[in-house]
Amino acid sequence: MHIRFWGTRGSLPVAPHASTIAEKVSRALFAANGRSFASEAAARAFVEGELEFAVGKTYGGATSCVEIDLGAGPFVICDMGSGLREFGLDSLRRCNAEGRPQEYHFFLSHLHWDHIMGFPFFVPAFLAGAKIVIHAGHADAEEALRRQQEEISFPVPFDWLKADIAFRTLETGREYRIGRLDVSLIEQHHSHSSYGYRFRDDRGKVAVYSTDSEHKIDLMHGEADVVGFFEAADLVVCDTMYSLADTVSMKEDWGHSSNIVAVDLCHAARAQRLALFHHEPTYSDADIQRMYRETIRYEELTRDDAPLEVICAHDGLCIEV
Amino acid sequence: MGSGEIAWAFEERGNASLVAPAGRVDEATAAEFAERLSKFAETCRDTMILDLEGIAYMSSRGLRALTLAQRRASECGTTIVLARPNPTMREILAISRYDRIFTVTETIEAAQDD
Ligand SMILES: [Zn+2]
Ligand SMILES: [Zn+2]
Repeated sequence: MHIRFWGTRGSLPVAPHASTIAEKVSRALFAANGRSFASEAAARAFVEGELEFAVGKTYGGATSCVEIDLGAGPFVICDMGSGLREFGLDSLRRCNAEGRPQEYHFFLSHLHWDHIMGFPFFVPAFLAGAKIVIHAGHADAEEALRRQQEEISFPVPFDWLKADIAFRTLETGREYRIGRLDVSLIEQHHSHSSYGYRFRDDRGKVAVYSTDSEHKIDLMHGEADVVGFFEAADLVVCDTMYSLADTVSMKEDWGHSSNIVAVDLCHAARAQRLALFHHEPTYSDADIQRMYRETIRYEELTRDDAPLEVICAHDGLCIEV
Repeated sequence: MGSGEIAWAFEERGNASLVAPAGRVDEATAAEFAERLSKFAETCRDTMILDLEGIAYMSSRGLRALTLAQRRASECGTTIVLARPNPTMREILAISRYDRIFTVTETIEAAQDD
């Protein structure tokens, strides 16, 4: 399966200012140091090969939306952050090009605004003939989605959507067969609760989506459950919004976790890969890149045996699991 | 994997207590580390100097234990100071930003003066 990241930012969408782009271009030109390029492709190769990520690219600013792409059958999407708008359009392109059915299976971590705000802009929901099943650990998922399309918030009411939309509440402690995936969920510490999902495809590959999850300092003994849930996963997408110091001081009880607790949990679970996710909206690209490098270093320093590969999710990233 | 146990030394130095654990604080030893450290934090001196010289490295569980110990210590006005971290521990304190919520010193004397 492929994991496509359509939105990776935490809490609030962000967009670069004109000055941010001017700064990147200036740094790139300075790094090129008078070199000339025979073609745009040659310039692109320089950007890809020699510029650091934060200079040549951006981690993006859309909020949580991650696709589990099985290449065929219904689309599988975790969360409906602002990244969902672009996914919706791309999925229709794929339906046309590849003849895939307009069928969508959503899995919601929770109902906070940054995780559902993309739904009113999800074009397939407006199409008669499209089929949408929204899975959630929360029984009030429908209420949350209807409420954000009430007149005071949005011009198009939920009932005007033409797609066939169904809601399904899932329980923890059991495994479901949904589409071509085995799916289970775990409850996480977060305001109004959140749920992590574990997906296993028919080849036995496992991807875990665990965002907006606080690993509380006075409940460390309870982390065995989380380690069990991450066990031997090929990929774990983790909320790494804050530094550890922030999670035990000013931002304690804000419902998020740190890069280094994510590494420790993945080490304990013998997971293969960790994707840093739900990036702090006040972070610049340089800040996220620094956090990424520090996380790689922490993993090296605390590694016991098999290495854990750390990647940093960004909008537009697609990885094979 | 063979992390063994943590050995502890304790002494009193004027208004400070000096606690010196030795070993690796990882998933296997973190619970015991947290428990012992919180007990030492109840000795109620102005300062509790945690001598990190003998600590090879510490995972987030060890770091979180430091915070729990500091909360216990705060109940009688004690501040925990981290002294003599090795280069690995220094890096971990920086990456976790724990060097912003704890005072970190090069020597035990510097911790005492703090
Ligand atoms: Zn969020
Ligand atoms: Zn949330």
